Parts: sequence; C-alpha cells; structure tokens
Amino acid sequence: MKAYAEDPVLLRNLGKPEVRTVAGYRAAGGYRALEQALRMQPDEVIEAVKASGLRGRGGAGFPTGMKWGFVPKDAEVQKYLVVNADESEPGTFKDRVLMEHDPHQLIEGSAICCWAVGATVCYIYVRGEYVAPADIVEEAIGDAYREGVLGESVLGSGFRLDMLVHRGAGAYICGEETGLLESLEGKRGQPRVKPPFPALVGAFGKPTVINNVETLACVPHIIERGAEWFKGIGTDERNTGPKLYAVSGHVERPGTYELPIGVTFQELLDACGGVWQGRDLKAFIPGGASAPVLTAADRDVRMDFDSLAKAGSMLGSAAVMVLDETTSMLQVAKRVAKFFNHESCGQCTPCREGTHWLELILQQGTHGIGSHREMDLVGAVCKQIGGNSLCALGDAAAMGVGPIVAKFRDEILAEIAAARPAGHASPLPVLQASH
Amino acid sequence: MPTVLIDDRTVDVAQGTNLVDAALGIGIQIPHYCYHPRLSVVGQCRMCLVQVEGMPKLQAGCSTQVMKDGMVVRTDTPEVKDAQRAMMEFLLINHPLDCPICDQAGECGLQDYAFKHGVAFSRFHFEDKRTYSGRERIPLGPNVVLNMNRCIQCTRCVRFTQEVSKTGELGFLQRGARAEIGVFPGKELDSDLASNVVDICPVGALTSSRFRFAERVWYLDKKPSLCTGCDVGCNITLEHRRTSIKRYKPRFNPEVNDYWMCDYGRATHERYTRLPRLAVPRLRKEGALSPVSWEEALGALHDRLRTRSSDGAQVFLGSGFSTTEEAYLLAKLADQGGSPHRSVWTARSQPFHIPNLHGGVTGEDASPNRRGAELAGLVPGDGAIDGQRLLAGEGAQDAALLVVADSDFGPPAHDPEVLQRLRKAAFLVVFGWADTPLAQAADLALPVATHAEKDGTFVNVQHRLQRFKRAFPSPGEAMPLTDVLTELLARSAPEWQGLGVAEVFDRMAEEVPAFAGMRFSRIPPTGAPLRGATAEDGRQ
Amino acid sequence: MSEPVAEGRRGLPPEAREELHRLRPLYPTARALTLPALHLAQRAWGGWLPEEAILAVAEELQLPAAEVYGVVTFYDLFHEQPVGRHRIRVCTNVPCMLRGSAEVMATLGELLGVEEGEVTADGRCSFVHFECLGACEHAPMMMVDDTYHYDLDRETVRSIVEGLE
Repeated sequence: MKAYAEDPVLLRNLGKPEVRTVAGYRAAGGYRALEQALRMQPDEVIEAVKASGLRGRGGAGFPTGMKWGFVPKDAEVQKYLVVNADESEPGTFKDRVLMEHDPHQLIEGSAICCWAVGATVCYIYVRGEYVAPADIVEEAIGDAYREGVLGESVLGSGFRLDMLVHRGAGAYICGEETGLLESLEGKRGQPRVKPPFPALVGAFGKPTVINNVETLACVPHIIERGAEWFKGIGTDERNTGPKLYAVSGHVERPGTYELPIGVTFQELLDACGGVWQGRDLKAFIPGGASAPVLTAADRDVRMDFDSLAKAGSMLGSAAVMVLDETTSMLQVAKRVAKFFNHESCGQCTPCREGTHWLELILQQGTHGIGSHREMDLVGAVCKQIGGNSLCALGDAAAMGVGPIVAKFRDEILAEIAAARPAGHASPLPVLQASH
Repeated sequence: MPTVLIDDRTVDVAQGTNLVDAALGIGIQIPHYCYHPRLSVVGQCRMCLVQVEGMPKLQAGCSTQVMKDGMVVRTDTPEVKDAQRAMMEFLLINHPLDCPICDQAGECGLQDYAFKHGVAFSRFHFEDKRTYSGRERIPLGPNVVLNMNRCIQCTRCVRFTQEVSKTGELGFLQRGARAEIGVFPGKELDSDLASNVVDICPVGALTSSRFRFAERVWYLDKKPSLCTGCDVGCNITLEHRRTSIKRYKPRFNPEVNDYWMCDYGRATHERYTRLPRLAVPRLRKEGALSPVSWEEALGALHDRLRTRSSDGAQVFLGSGFSTTEEAYLLAKLADQGGSPHRSVWTARSQPFHIPNLHGGVTGEDASPNRRGAELAGLVPGDGAIDGQRLLAGEGAQDAALLVVADSDFGPPAHDPEVLQRLRKAAFLVVFGWADTPLAQAADLALPVATHAEKDGTFVNVQHRLQRFKRAFPSPGEAMPLTDVLTELLARSAPEWQGLGVAEVFDRMAEEVPAFAGMRFSRIPPTGAPLRGATAEDGRQ
Repeated sequence: MSEPVAEGRRGLPPEAREELHRLRPLYPTARALTLPALHLAQRAWGGWLPEEAILAVAEELQLPAAEVYGVVTFYDLFHEQPVGRHRIRVCTNVPCMLRGSAEVMATLGELLGVEEGEVTADGRCSFVHFECLGACEHAPMMMVDDTYHYDLDRETVRSIVEGLE
C-alpha cells in the first residue's frame, strides 16, 4: 500500500459553503486546473488522464483516459459530455455529497473533459430525487456563466461551453449509460444494444463521453498535481487515486470516507468506528447491491477494482453495506431481489422475467416456503440471467442475489423453516414431470 | 463482401448484415422474436444468442453485424442451447398456456420454439402467474384485439406503429415485469395499416377481430394470390378452408407491399360471401329469366355477336377487376365485330399507402387492374361509347349488344339508376361471379370465377405486372372468364380453341408492345415492371 | 398551483411553456424536453399527471400520446393517480432496512391512518416505500415532497408529519 496524500482531495471543501460560488471556489484554489488545461493541447489532457490510471468511479471501472480517447477528433462533429449523476445504486451517496458540497469541482472537471474531447455541450443528468443537489449544481452553473467560467469563452480562452442540469424522474436503469442517454433524449430509459458505443454514437446520435461525478471530480486534481501524484496513491498502477467509500448499514459512523483506493475493508470499517453496538460482522457488500456479498472472513480484502474482483466481488460504486451478526440474510436477499425486479426496465427477457421470479422465490421463503430445491433454483435462475441480458442490470441482479443465497444457504433455510406457519411440517412436494 | 463462418459453413454477406440474416442465407434458423428486418434492432428477446469466436459472452445475433472477414459463429453449442432453453423458460413461466382457446395456436412463435428449443416441464411453482387484470381481451381498435397475458414484450407492434406506419398509436408502458403494450386511454389503434401488428406479433397477444375464432389455422389452405382492394396490388396469401376464404395475409414482395397490407384490403374477401353467388347461366326468355346450359347460353351470345353493325353498336365494358387476359380476349371479341366501343370502368380509391423500402406504393383505383385491362386493348376508339357515357348518360340505348364484365365492377353495379341506363341496351350480357342487381337485369347472365378461382395477371399502379394463381375451383357451373371468351372466339376463329390463360398471355405479349418479350411462365414471383407503358399502348 | 378545471381540457400553463421555450435551444430535439415538460406538468396539475396533462405535453412537443404515456409510466416520480398534497417517499432499500425503515413505514401508517399508496381523507398526505434515495449515511430516511429528512425515528417522523400543512 502506497502512502496516501496528507489531506482529503475530493472532499477538501467539505463543510465550506462559501465554495459554492465561483469566487469562493477560486479562493480555495479552484479553477486553476481548468486554466492550466486550457493552455494544454486537448490530447495532452487526455494523455495526462490516461497516465494517471484513473478508472471510472461509477461502477464499471473503465479507464477514463481511454474512454476519452475513443471520441473521434473530427472538429466538425458535435460532441457531448454527459455527466452521470443518476446515483441510484443502493448504498451509494458519494456523488450527492460531492454535488452538495463542492459543485464547482464537478463543473471544473467537466469543463476540462469537454476541452479534452471537444465537447461544447455538457448535460449533467441528476437523478430526479436529488432535488437539492441539482438545485445547488444549477446555481453554481449560473454563477459560472456570470463569472465567465462557462458560456461564450471559458475563462477567456475562446472555447465555448454550455452546461446544464437535466433532471431524471426515478429509474435506477438510467444510471446505465445508454439508458441514461435514452432518458436524456426524452424516452423511456431502456438501455441500447451495443455496439455502437456512446463514444461514437451517443447522445442524439453524436459522439459522447459519459462519466460519473466522482470520476470528473478527480480530473482537476490530476491536471493540477500531475498524473504521477495521482498514480502514487492506491494499490498499484491499475488501482490509483483517492476514492470515496460510501459506508452504510451496521456501523457506528456511516458516511462518505475518502481514502486511498485499495484500503482494506477492515481499515475502512475501523475508520467508521467499527460494527455498531459492539456486535460482530457477519457480511458486507463492498460495491452496491450489484456486488456479490462477502463474508466476515473476507474482511482483509483490499477495496480496489482488481483485489475485489479476485475475491469474487467488485468495487462497483464503492458503496459498502455492513451487515452485523443479527442480520437476516433472507430479508437482505429478498430486498435486493425486490429492488432489481422493481428496477428492471422490462425490455429484455432474462432480466424482466428472471428478477421477478427471484423475488417470488425469496418472498415465498419469508412465508416459510422453501427448501434446498428453491435455493438451487435461485442459483439456476441467476445463472440463466447472468451474461444473457441486454445490459448489466441482469448481471447485477444475478450477482447481487445469487451469492447471498449461495453463501448463506443453511442460514436462509433455517430462517425459512422458522417462518413456516405452525402445523406445516414442510411444504407440499411438487411433482416433477418426467422428461 | 466479408465471409463469415457459421456452424462450419461459409457464407458471403454484405458488410453490416446481422447474424440472423446471414445464417438464414444458408438455411440456418437462429430463433428470434423481437427482430424483424423492417424494424429497428433492439436485442430484447435474447432468443438469438449465439457464440462468436473471441467474445467472452454469447452475442445477440440480431444486433451483431458482420463487419469484416473471418468472423466465426456457432449456433449449436451447449452454451447456446442452454441460453435458448433459459429464454424459453423465462418466456413461459408467466405465459397463460391457453393454446386451446388461442387463435395463434398453430402459427405461434412460443409453441414452435418451445417445441424446438424449450423443455417440457416447469420449475415455476407458483399458483398465480402474472396477469394483467382487465387487459385479457380488449380491442385496441376496430380490427385488433389485445390479450396482454400472452404478450412476450418483444415490442414489434410498438416499433411498427412508430417506425413503419408512423402513426405512433402504441406505446410500451410500465416497467420491468409489469411492462405492457397499449394505446393511450381513449385513443385507438385505427390506422389503415393497423392489422399488420397482428401479423408481426409472434404470439397470441394481438389477434385480428375479423379472424378471431373463425378457424383453427391448421385447417387453412394457403395459396399465393393478390389483393383486389385497389391497384397497389399487395401480394397476399389467400387462406381458405374448403373454398371459404378466412383471411388475407400479406405476402412478402419488397418491390410492392414489402411485408405489409392495409386493413381495407384484408376485408375485401368478404365481398365473396356478402353477395349471393351467380350459380348457373341464365337467359331471359319471353321476359323471364331461366337457367340454361352453358351450351345454350354461349349459343345465344354467339348469335348476338354475329348481328350486323347496322342493327346497332356492340359495346364491351370491362372493369378494373378483369384480368389482363380477360380484357385482351374481350378486346378480341370486339375486334371480331369491328367495334370501337370498348372500355374499362373503375371507381377511384381512397389512396391507401403501403410503405416499402423504396418509399411505398399509393393506390388510385378501387380495383386491381384498370391499367392491365387498358394495356390489353380495352381502350375506346374515337367517339366510341365508353364506360363514362354508359354509366352517366344514354350510351346504352344505341347498343344492340352490351357485354359487361363483371357484375360487381363497382358501386354503380348496385345503383338502380345506372341499371336503368344500362338496361336500355337491346341485349345486355353480364359476366360475373355475383348475382347482383345488374346480373338480374341482364338478358344473359353468365357465372364466372372469382379471382380466387382463376389464374391471371394484374398490372398495378406502378405498372408492375403481377401473376396470381387459382386457389381453389369454382363452385357449380361457374367457369373462368378466359375459358368462356376463348370458346366464343373459337366459334368464329378456331385458333382460339382450348387456349389456357398462359397461352392467351403469351399471344398477347407477341402483339401488345407493353408486354413484348414476356412469357406467362416466366413472370418473376415479385412481378415484372412494364417500362414506359401507358394506356396508349393498348389502343389498336 | 393551478386548480383542476371542470370543463374543457387544459393545455400547459403559460409559465411552463415559457420555461420549455427557454430550454428548447439547449437541446437538439424537442423530444429531449419530455422529462422537463412532464416535471412542469406534474407541478401544474397538483403532483400527478392526469390524462389531460399527458396530452398537453404530447401536444406541446408534437409527440404521440402513447409514447409520452410510456415515458410517464416508466419513471417512479411520475404519478398517474392522484397523490396527497404532500408526498412522502420512504427509502426501504437495504441500508435503510438495516436501520429501521420498517418502523418508519409503520409509524406513517399509524399517523396518517391510511395504507401505503392511499391519500388521506383530507388530501393532505400520501406515503409510499421507495428504492434507495441515496442518503444511506442518514438511514433511515425519507423524502417529503422535494426535501430529504434524515436519521429518522418514531419521534422525528411524528414531528415532520405534524408540521405538514
């Protein structure tokens, strides 16, 4: 583990309301990176981001510089930056904190990205529920226009950039980048078939970069302090930079924690004051509801992209849900299944039908009906969804539900048995038809 | 053209061809529901998952395009078959399995694929399937009924109204497992093209209110034919049971109607049951109509045809429903009597527009073949008594003989005033399949075949010559009109004796420039354009 | 907030149309204004979207009504049924579930005397459970109209509900 920079980076302006204005943000050192970037060639900016090793903070962990590099250089073609602020992965709230506390950091990072890829319009797609954060960002954008940070000539450079907030209306799937684009275009947020990828055919059919809020918030710091500095933080060169961990559930102090990427779960847990009420850890979900659950035995895993993948889970959005020893894993599994069933867009067969089926099986379990056969069936249904769905939501449902049942099977069976109404020794056997 | 290897067989396809189409080119069927060649690719149903070398996951065949040489695809691996079984299981867990009362049974994508790719048992152990209460059998419009319980959410219908008919009546509503299709409350799916959604619905969710419960589809005999509703000339499959036509369905012709036809056209076969059939030849004797033999009927007509022109004109009125061959023979009959009084009459049509990849075809006439009949020679000479004069004025009173083909040539055939005018002819002959007021007013009424009962050609609004085939024989004593006319012609000129439709066409092609070089047997399945043809070509 | 009118169908109110005209140049297509327009319409129609509101948006943007209807039914924040003057959404996803969202739901049921999804007789409130609202560090939490309320227990829920007009 390489040493972490002394002070918080992304959260440096936490609790300083004055940075919500351009003047206040400048006073805190802001917009120097944008000035610097505008003096660089766009390609140099992309190279710097590539060199930093920054990977997308939204969930998939795709190298950001590479994504920017995919956008065609043709100056004639309209290009867009779409900021994915549709933060909806259960357990995730870091982007809300970034928008509420430091909107100009996002605007600055977005503006640098636009300069680098040649985008002249930036839509910030904020989930509809985030009314206050969207208002704060919108106000900051207004100030940025007034102060010459946005509009006709960004900081007097002659680069024209328009930026606006686009509010969602309540749909998890709009966090999937092509679902988001559909929604931005005024349609149902149903993910598109890929290819073509958004870098070539994105918003309104034009080349588009879609980046998460936290990803863009990292960018000014990479420009200002250099790629080497950024790379110096984290586990290794594939897992670099400061990272926001959104910790929730059974901990003493839930919250947004900025730590070097690759901190161990135990270190993170310690930073949060440990499991609440002095209880023991049963399990934790390291990267939002889509991430396979890990057990207390995995507590020393490094919280970075590759280490978590190796441990059979994923960093995802780094939304860490901590489950203490009293947690009903049947209830957690059912709730996660219910979530994905509710949020499935309904267009593709495995996700629409599979998530529905998963919820039914687990709901039935809470009524005391279920045996090894149902547990096997959960695994089978997850396997049938995984890899076959149109977008990653199906995979997410399979990864979110399957491992809970797989890893806590006996415990869940005991819960089902305990929930069985008195007088019912076991559920009636269902006759299996012969082939 | 890039080469792709599918299940060890190579096929060359145009760049950008998707794998479903590429495989079909070499006879490999990749199962699919949501994909349709004329609709946007959405990759939703996930039935067409195949293995593509170098890709970690299965890929949807519909959305995977062949872009360069060397793609290696497998459609038959255990992984692919597992995925197909999985999708079938997912699609069926909430399906009502009400095949015994479902119109789609027998032509259902779920039945077919369940048989081919599915499993025979269910692991879905719940009493209640997902249902859409109150949405089991609701009319979406005058011609289409929705049963949401059967829907597999492929959205073909929605995309059809958005992308093909461009009317947008249908929407994809709700989300997830509650996703459904429907119209906006109070609005209807009522465009001219509405019923095409029934055809493209792979399951029994959308059924035709006309065809509902009319027949089990496995009892239907299906024959290629043409719609007679207007002069677009939609290619159709005529589906009948024991000569009772149950429905028309569009038959693919990329040059004309593509995959589509209009709702009006679909209903036009109903005329064959709405009107009574003319069953036997009928001759007016001493004021009263009596059934007579064909021999006697043709004898009477032949006698009339031989009367001298000084006794009055011989007038021949064909219609847009006449085949090109019939019109040609009728013109020949006029030639024999040296009569310039020959014409075609047809009503104007509502301009039904059928989209295709070239922009589409819009109809003009309310009958299929005005152009063909004119090209074949039914064009009046100068100052001749034509259809316009006959129907609107006093033309018939100068006629010693008026021959009308056919008895249901359009709305005027049912108009008492028109009948009075036509009746002024000294001798009125009506050919027809229908026993209309016109047939009843005739001195000689001759029962002939419907278009379902004969062979022939039509020339559509694009001047495209299209051939259709007899679907079933005529009932009773009705005969194809071409047989009747060749027989009549042969009584004066024996070389016409026994000529079939093909020979009549070929003879016409030798004579009429518009058809030069054509042979009946070589008319392509999608028809043949008549380049630069106009009605003038039919003027003798 | 405009009152529903008894007769005739209303279009979008002028201020909503003005806002849409302001936004129009910022997007390459009119269709992109669907979500903004529906948000404006929902505000104008008292928190939900009756058929006339959906038709008004469809007409304003020149889109088929069925398509706009499809959009409305896709998103959780758009309502096709009447809602209370105050709309309470309780997060019940895993982090809030772990910290007592069930009690929040139960408390609201007791306080308001209606089932989830129903509107109180006086039209004041309706409450529903909701998927993750993205404030898990403050679980359990809920959203009342546009405002987040954090770190709830029976007492805070009671005082929030009692404070609603």
